[in-house]
Amino acid sequence: MKEDKLNCFVLEGKMALPNQYFAGRLGSRFIIALRDKKKITGVRCKKCNKTFIPPREYCEQCWTKISENWVDLGREGELINYTVIRYGDRHLPRKAPYILGQILLKGADTPLTHIVEGVDPKDVRVGMKLKAVFAEKPTNTILDLDHFEPV
Amino acid sequence: MTEYYGATVADIFDTMPKRFKPEEAKDVDILIGYEATGEGGGMWTAHIKHGTLAVSKVDELKGCKTTIHAHAETFLGVTLGKITAIDALTSQKLRVVGDIRFLMTLLPKVFVPFTVIPKKKVLTARNILVTMESLFRPERAEGVTMNIGYDLTGPDGGQWSLQIKDGKCKVREGFAEELTVKLTMNTSVYTGMMTGTIDGASAFTSGQVKIEGDMMAAVATARYFHKYTDPDAKEAEELICLRVTNSIEQRFASGPVMGKWFAGLREKKFLGNKCPECGRTQIPPREICAICRVRVNEFVELGPKGTVTNYDIVYFASPDPLTGAVRDTPYAPIYIVLDGSSEREAFAFELKKEDISRINVGARVRPVWTENPVGSFKDVLYFELDQ
Repeated sequence: MKEDKLNCFVLEGKMALPNQYFAGRLGSRFIIALRDKKKITGVRCKKCNKTFIPPREYCEQCWTKISENWVDLGREGELINYTVIRYGDRHLPRKAPYILGQILLKGADTPLTHIVEGVDPKDVRVGMKLKAVFAEKPTNTILDLDHFEPV
Repeated sequence: MTEYYGATVADIFDTMPKRFKPEEAKDVDILIGYEATGEGGGMWTAHIKHGTLAVSKVDELKGCKTTIHAHAETFLGVTLGKITAIDALTSQKLRVVGDIRFLMTLLPKVFVPFTVIPKKKVLTARNILVTMESLFRPERAEGVTMNIGYDLTGPDGGQWSLQIKDGKCKVREGFAEELTVKLTMNTSVYTGMMTGTIDGASAFTSGQVKIEGDMMAAVATARYFHKYTDPDAKEAEELICLRVTNSIEQRFASGPVMGKWFAGLREKKFLGNKCPECGRTQIPPREICAICRVRVNEFVELGPKGTVTNYDIVYFASPDPLTGAVRDTPYAPIYIVLDGSSEREAFAFELKKEDISRINVGARVRPVWTENPVGSFKDVLYFELDQ
């Protein structure tokens, strides 16, 4: 049967999705320290002798409230793991390919996941020494700490 | 006036009209006199009569049914609950002439308790400007020479100059002889921009800031200074909340059958289709009869008027699926069987807001069209009651 295409048409539309994200009280303080003081901060559990980054309200091992025990961490650290993002998408912070690393900062017991730049994906190695590079313009996000690069 | 516990006696009486609860004082008719002695004292009367209140500052207490006497400090202490009324009464610091029990029961009923409103310390433009030299970043201003003039209007305003030269920054009152750029704004705009509550670019585009001279210099200024932080605002906690509006692109291909329906809307017609086997009408039309599963080719015009078979009144402010904007509530989708439709073949559309209170099952409704239909669901604005 021959299709009647007389009334076929395409409707283009755009849908707006208003969205809001609250960083939380600890998250806000963490980002503000990055933004205003260029300081990487974590929280310390005195009982377990462990320092966590990103900050969290309770120690994940003994459930002690640790949200007030802020400590300054170093700007340098060691790459303990990484992955290379090889696909591009609009929501991603960098153009592919780029490296997402897990960096164990001086004074921290948990790694921070962040972008690693200044090294080719094929040359990146676990154990590399990295240092933090802060953003020029504030974004009020984790990207106020822009990326890590080799020392 | 002398303050005790962070407030003055006058504050109590000034806020009385705001704290008054008329609905609790309908059957009351009483004139109460107050005398606060000592520094910061005075005499007041409060006349409560059938749900109205008149407070006046007086020179003597005349014709009062009950009078209260105390030192201004005791007065505030008792009012704020820092001193218990019983203690003040037994120690004779508070004296009541007249019906004391009446006051103990009546006053808490007809007034919201008085509380001290913490005074906000006002941050002035001067506070900020005098710190600018210490916030200067010479490493960023190498080779920069400029004179920035600030003409600040409004309270605590004034004229200021900020000179950047040879890697040094100097701030002084009054204008320098040759200004690179002059910024005119209200002091509140300046303090807002410096503390980050007002965005500089939008303050300029909205006309709150006037820039005369080198525009680029004005924009670059912020680069040469560290961010100002209000030393008194350190206690206030800044919370980060990001607001974004994502835009999702969509395409909808009508196909021949829905296409015919939209073509009908363009001519202000509702075109349903009719199953060749069971004779049931479908609206909006489908390619296949949902019951007989045969192709449906015959189109029929339905309505335009119809009968309401059901309705919802929605009070939840759900987002509009087409725009994402929050909808006005209440809104009412109604289920309409258009004239000529088969029984139970209702289709849903929004009812005119003004008709929501009068809607009922069985009501007759008619569509209201836009002036120039283009072949979209928005061609029908809403249905309204047909009366």
